[in-house]
Amino acid sequence: MNEQEHIYELVEKYCHGLMDDKEKLFFEIDMETNPALANLVYQHQTLIASFDHHNSKEFIRYSLDSIHKNSHSQTGLMLKYMRLHVSKYWRTASVAAVVAVTASILTFLFARSIYKKDTQATYQLLKGEINTIKKDQKAIISEVNKVKRSGVAVPDYPSKYSGTGFAISKNGYLVTNLHVVDGYSKIFTFTEDGTGHESQVVVKDEVNDLAILKINEDDFRFDGSLPYSIKKSNINLARRIYSLGFPKNEIVYNEGYISSETGFNGDSNRFQLELPSSPGVSGAPILDESGNILGIISGKQSQTEGVTFAIHAKQLLDLVKDLPDFSPTELSGNKLRGSNRSAQISQIQPFICMVKVYN
Amino acid sequence: MFPINFGLLGYLIPHFVLMKEIQTRNVQDEELIQSLAAGDTKTLNAIYCSCYPTIEKMVFKMNGTVDDAYDTFQDALTILYEKAKAGDLQLSCRFSTYITAVSKHIWLKKMAKRKNQSFTSLNEFLEETLGVHDTVNQFFEFENNVARLSQSLQQIGEPCQSVLSAFYIQNKSMQDIALEFGYTNAENAKTQKYKCLNRLRKLFFTEEKELKIQ
Repeated sequence: MNEQEHIYELVEKYCHGLMDDKEKLFFEIDMETNPALANLVYQHQTLIASFDHHNSKEFIRYSLDSIHKNSHSQTGLMLKYMRLHVSKYWRTASVAAVVAVTASILTFLFARSIYKKDTQATYQLLKGEINTIKKDQKAIISEVNKVKRSGVAVPDYPSKYSGTGFAISKNGYLVTNLHVVDGYSKIFTFTEDGTGHESQVVVKDEVNDLAILKINEDDFRFDGSLPYSIKKSNINLARRIYSLGFPKNEIVYNEGYISSETGFNGDSNRFQLELPSSPGVSGAPILDESGNILGIISGKQSQTEGVTFAIHAKQLLDLVKDLPDFSPTELSGNKLRGSNRSAQISQIQPFICMVKVYN
Repeated sequence: MFPINFGLLGYLIPHFVLMKEIQTRNVQDEELIQSLAAGDTKTLNAIYCSCYPTIEKMVFKMNGTVDDAYDTFQDALTILYEKAKAGDLQLSCRFSTYITAVSKHIWLKKMAKRKNQSFTSLNEFLEETLGVHDTVNQFFEFENNVARLSQSLQQIGEPCQSVLSAFYIQNKSMQDIALEFGYTNAENAKTQKYKCLNRLRKLFFTEEKELKIQ
């Protein structure tokens, strides 16, 4: 035991460099001849080095911690940085901020206006803006005629709107869209010969956009009884249909087919047609091949060409029930069945009128 | 006190500038190293004030936090302190440049460790010139040893742990230790210390073997 202790003492002395030269020399010779001793020295040195490293580390940590705590360097540094950057770049930063805010506001407004335009445009009423329609000679002639014949003259200035109406009785009841005549008192119906007759709205149906007009002349009669019938009938997809209306001052024929059983956005009071339409055909009748009126044109979808919406004839029949001086039986006879299309049209034509409203 | 604010630029300076710097290296750095070896608090304070902001900024830029920066700086300073104490700190550039290079190397190595990647070398001119790579590697080896040492110290139990700590860490004399732990004289305490050291040595090196097997 004592010998072992002695060896340890020598090793420690050697490792701490406490030996004199002679001692050291002997010890090193010992180490060379005795590998176990050399190993012991190596291990001891490693341990001492680890202790030393630990001590230095602790010393540095202890000293630095007190300095670090007192200096608040990191926060001060951050503040210095921020202050430096703020004072250096506030001009640029504020310009950038203004640009960003303006751009976002403009984008917002722009996007909103586009959105608004879209919703407005999806459904267009087909009343004709008369400013875009040239007055032709026939109208002038008719006005001259009118002055001769009846008491109330057609105004000599251009009308505000025009639409189409069709007769539902011999004695001067007509149907058109409410949006054509609504809000106006000077309403004139122009029959086939071009004469204008002062008319008034008798019944309004705001939900279905229908208006029933009555020509304000006691002795007014259409020539002959109504050739077409107005019926509640099934709306079958792909059924061929045609229509007559006044997009200009002459009657215009159009044909197409039923493309959907519901109207705009699934509106079940209307149905959808594949039929070209233009302003002025509002109120025009939709007829099937045997001459039954299935509905009344009311509007179109703006983005898709050729998509037109019509009101069910059923809504019209509900409306005419209580009219004075009117018999619904008039609507049930059909004189057109069996005849060809042009023969049908020549019979129908006298009963389709142009409706104009004036300020 | 001394012109140390050389900072990150130390990395970017071209060869000839560095050479010039080595030639005109400030004599004050020598004094600095000497007082660092003595563990002078004023010197440590001066090093902290002039070098730490640069290193903090650098570690920030390399995805580190404030704590990371402080730890890195502490490690770097430990390395320099140990080298200075051993008389091994022969600078071929400015002190600030050297400590920044060492810090950068330490931080990169720590980051690689966190990501479980092996980090070999930066292959940068400056670091090769200064031998930073070997220095830092040696430091991490020491760190490893210290971790193992404290583990072994915990395993040998009392009173060995306290006796060894008192002698090797608190640098107490054998007389004091004999008094504190109730040994009859310093010789007895010394015998006890040798026994403890022997046990510690065995624990320490068997663990090394186990670690190697793993």
